[in-house]
Amino acid sequence: MATTDPVGQFVVCDAGPLIHLDELRCLDLLAEFETVLVPSAVWIEVARHRPAVLVSPGVPLRRVTVSLPWTPALEVLSQALSLHLGEMEALQVACEQQVGLLLTDDTAARLAARNLGLLVHGTLGLLIRAVRRGQRSRDQVLSVLRSVPDQSTLHIKSDLLDEIIRQVTESTR
Amino acid sequence: MKTAIQAELPPELLSQAQAYVNEGWMPNLNDLLTEALRRYLESHASELTATFIRDDVAWGLHGHD
Repeated sequence: MATTDPVGQFVVCDAGPLIHLDELRCLDLLAEFETVLVPSAVWIEVARHRPAVLVSPGVPLRRVTVSLPWTPALEVLSQALSLHLGEMEALQVACEQQVGLLLTDDTAARLAARNLGLLVHGTLGLLIRAVRRGQRSRDQVLSVLRSVPDQSTLHIKSDLLDEIIRQVTESTR
Repeated sequence: MKTAIQAELPPELLSQAQAYVNEGWMPNLNDLLTEALRRYLESHASELTATFIRDDVAWGLHGHD
């Protein structure tokens, strides 16, 4: 996956990163972007599970209505990967508005995004990027990473999380 | 051999699933749930998920944005 791409100022966000970042008290990391587009279905999902996210001060969320019909490629991918409505809307918005980055933690949605040629990352990427971007110190991010299993609903195997923590520790020494 | 399990589902999700069965798309709720679970596991394969997460780490550490 490319690591030399400009993200741009507009990003589209699925429900996962909004919820997980808030659980980890890191929603402010999204404040770096000019606008975070949140498709209506995602907005409704977040409102149901974690409504405080949508009124977080300083986080530039903007609800967007998705225009139908779905693009043919997305329709095929949706059926093949059993995508949810929120994921489909996020992918549709990302394709239509040619945003720099799609944020999702869902594996199927990420697979679909790759097939559509979109740049896609998730909560962990944003957390680690925060060190590089000067939004958090390395120690702060390591602390957040260690809290993932207890403080969030982001599911990750413990040995993989350990590997990530080791990488972050070593790479920023 | 099949194993019976007990799971708690949100009422609206169960209602949607039952409607899908009632419309004739699936013979019964058991088959629908089995198919849904199979599809989820296919599209969320462990290796694929790990690959995406490692990709996130690389971007976080070494991206140029």
